[in-house]
Amino acid sequence: MSNFVEANQIDKVFFLADGGTYVALKGIELEIRKGEFISLIGHSGCGKSTLLNMIAGLDSPTEGVVMVDDTPVKDPGPDRMVVFQNYSLLPWLTVRENITLAVNKVLADLSKEERQEVVEQHIDMVGLRHAADKKPGQLSGGMKQRVAIARALAIRPKLLLLDEPFGALDALTRGGLQEKLMQICQENHLTAVMVTHDVDEALLLSDRIVMLTNGPGSHIGQILEVDIPRPRKRMEVVNHPSYYSMRSEIIYFLNQQKKVKKRQAAIKKGAIARHGLEKINLEIGFLPLTACAPLAVAKEKGFFNKHGLEEVTLVREASWRGITDDIAAGYLDAAQMPAGMPMWLTLGGMDNKSIPVVTSLTLSRNGNAITIAKRFYDQGVYTLADFKAALKNSPQQRHTMGMVHPASLHNLLLRYWLASGGIDPDRDVNITMIPPAQMISNLEAGNIDGFCIGEPWNLRAAMAGIGFTVATDLEIWEGHPGKVLGVREDWAQAYPNTHVALVKALLEACYYCADENNAQEVRQILSQPKYLGTDQAYINLGDPDLNSCSLDHPMRQYAHHQFAGVGINRPSRTEQLWIMTQMARWGHVPFPRNWVEILERLCRIIEFSTAARELGLLDVSYQRAPIRLFDGSVFNTDDPLGYLNSLEIKHELYVAEIALNNPRPKVA
Amino acid sequence: MSVSITPRKKRNKQAVGFLPGLLADKKSRKIVAPIIAIGFFLIVWQLFSFGPDANLPGPIKVVSQTWELIINPFFDKGATNKGLFWQIFASLQRVAIGFTLAAIVGISLGIVVGTNGFLFDALDPIFQVLRTIPPLAWLPISLAAFQQANPSAIFVIFITSIWPIILNTIVGVQQIPQDYVNVSKVLQLSRREYFMDIVFPATVPYIFTGLRIGIGLSWLAIIAAEMLIGGVGIGFFIWDAWNAANISQIILALVYVGVVGLLLDKLIGFIAAKVVPDEQK
Repeated sequence: MSNFVEANQIDKVFFLADGGTYVALKGIELEIRKGEFISLIGHSGCGKSTLLNMIAGLDSPTEGVVMVDDTPVKDPGPDRMVVFQNYSLLPWLTVRENITLAVNKVLADLSKEERQEVVEQHIDMVGLRHAADKKPGQLSGGMKQRVAIARALAIRPKLLLLDEPFGALDALTRGGLQEKLMQICQENHLTAVMVTHDVDEALLLSDRIVMLTNGPGSHIGQILEVDIPRPRKRMEVVNHPSYYSMRSEIIYFLNQQKKVKKRQAAIKKGAIARHGLEKINLEIGFLPLTACAPLAVAKEKGFFNKHGLEEVTLVREASWRGITDDIAAGYLDAAQMPAGMPMWLTLGGMDNKSIPVVTSLTLSRNGNAITIAKRFYDQGVYTLADFKAALKNSPQQRHTMGMVHPASLHNLLLRYWLASGGIDPDRDVNITMIPPAQMISNLEAGNIDGFCIGEPWNLRAAMAGIGFTVATDLEIWEGHPGKVLGVREDWAQAYPNTHVALVKALLEACYYCADENNAQEVRQILSQPKYLGTDQAYINLGDPDLNSCSLDHPMRQYAHHQFAGVGINRPSRTEQLWIMTQMARWGHVPFPRNWVEILERLCRIIEFSTAARELGLLDVSYQRAPIRLFDGSVFNTDDPLGYLNSLEIKHELYVAEIALNNPRPKVA
Repeated sequence: MSVSITPRKKRNKQAVGFLPGLLADKKSRKIVAPIIAIGFFLIVWQLFSFGPDANLPGPIKVVSQTWELIINPFFDKGATNKGLFWQIFASLQRVAIGFTLAAIVGISLGIVVGTNGFLFDALDPIFQVLRTIPPLAWLPISLAAFQQANPSAIFVIFITSIWPIILNTIVGVQQIPQDYVNVSKVLQLSRREYFMDIVFPATVPYIFTGLRIGIGLSWLAIIAAEMLIGGVGIGFFIWDAWNAANISQIILALVYVGVVGLLLDKLIGFIAAKVVPDEQK
């Protein structure tokens, strides 16, 4: 079906009183199909109402054209009826007269009786029969908005435009009207565009949510498809498995817009060189997880300062997405990353655009587990084989597993674990991305059947009796890399001494965390609001709290975080190669033909070795054995393609040359 | 509990006496307080008029000297010798004609100028100059133009009261909320429909503000104009009394003029309250 509304390269420039200009909108491209419900969301002043007004014809674009039903919009017209934010009822007319004025004008070709019938029918539709002869001054806000909606619908528009229609209403009234509007739109197959500030309102009503960036020069930053089936109920949509991930996606976008200005100012400040280091003012991103301990400790215990990095700011991000975006944009100098993220970014996992990222330090290992719902346990599912049998017995059901990011080891381990038991993670189950904090509530609501995630979430699911730990690191890959330090390759090239100093500071912090004598202090640091902001009881560093996962059977031994030790912190090409093959196996990225080159550039062993030597640590020689996984297979590093081809369960493979930019020589 | 409280309250009220009791009640105070003030004023006035070289009569003398006029407002002995009712009626007639003309011309002109940016820029400075001209300054010009007393007086009323009406109407039109304009645009109302269904009703509150100021000004102007042009009318009545050195009649006429002015103002206010919807007030 062709597009009903099309905005082509819309620019809107306002001419200011002082002779200057303000570019409100820049290069807006938007296509809306017939019958779609679209929300425009963004911060105040981003031009979303201006865009709506241009579709309505109340405002005209400076450049470009808006087409509605294949006709360019020049003037406003009743076929594109607007429901204004402040109702816009004429206060000297009664409810009935307000609607009649519109109907008489627009439906002039109907007979008087027919027009009257239309008016009465719409008064009934919004349930205002008792107030039909009242003037707007005597009505409440909700009633006024109902009149405005009735007036808009009575003239049978092709397109309904709503400008923050429920903004001024109380929550209860708003909820009722939202459902009414949804019902009306569905019954009449209306196409609608709504401007809103309310994320939940947008999710409830829309088929697609169009997010606008902040002005000046606002453009469409992202379009989110809302795949929640209709008819939707206000109280039920929140239970949809992807509801919260979509919600956090929008909130993430809006927060990101707020931060952009601040970040740009920080970048302008430039690098401060001191003590023979090229840059001592660093912004380092982290996520509030137990595994962020080395960064927090390096900051609080002064390891950054000790190695000359005197102005380090730890930037707490809400999701891995925040880390990837800010690394890509260059807002962050370095970041704590899941072990797979440098590879994922380098191979173009993010928007198919290769961003070379290197790692020179592994910050932590282990700390993850796979949890499945308690009902499986009740059915007698204790192992992977049992789980497969349980899935086979219920083929009509769609089974969903949760994980936090495609580049995280959780995703790869979960898929590997499933596949080793003969479960195809793409066909037999559905793997979905859910923020860690929402994992348990989704499991409890039955939206997902299980998840693979870092602590403390497995523990908490077990403690709450919602799920049970079916496999831990010990059973999948003991000692797998958890989080690593990641920096952009061009950054590493520009600030080599800073890079080594950073590795030194963090490596020392890793050893500090690993010392059992410091456990209490580390726990105390992590529990601060600027880091995890959680009760110390949930921060499990060393020995497992056996009581908390004391399901009678099967009691799993718990793999705790490893922060330091021989072979722990050194970046490993073998491991990165395994990650590379697994990502290619599931089609996240192509397998690079130049895999040797990529591995060598990605794993910066030289910085690690220099740092370790200067700290006097004897972790310089490389002696790691090949990776042994729980299924008994030994990973062969010589022939990754042969390994991939030998796998039975996999996504379609594709091999490609990943051309990395030649790093620019440093300009001093 | 409440049973024991109620009688105590009553007792308290009885204890404070009749007049303070009336003043304590907000409603009755609105009536009683002005009566006290007027009584006080009359007494002071009367006391001053007892002086040996007082030029003005006291209130008792005023009433006794004009008693004939007070009890008999409807006599008509021809020419300008008529009762006060007829004098005021004549003045009101002139005001009615002049003010009605001013309202019609002022509102129409105000709407047209208010909706047209060019006309507004062109005419606003002229309006601002003309509105400051005192009513009587127009009289010689209008006498020269009309050559007759009555049309001249009506013209003075017209020209005095039209400015506040025009200016308030213009403001009203310019202040029409963008929402109403958007509604008319989306519904594609014709220009005539736009004026009749949107502009005029939306401007009504402002128009009434203008009318209220206008009626006050026109009542001011008619008295002065009639003093100069003669004939039947309360203004000339005052001038005539001055010539006859009948100060009591002047004072009586002044009271009547004040009361009529107040009633005219209240009348417009009353109509406005009936016409303007709640939400626009």
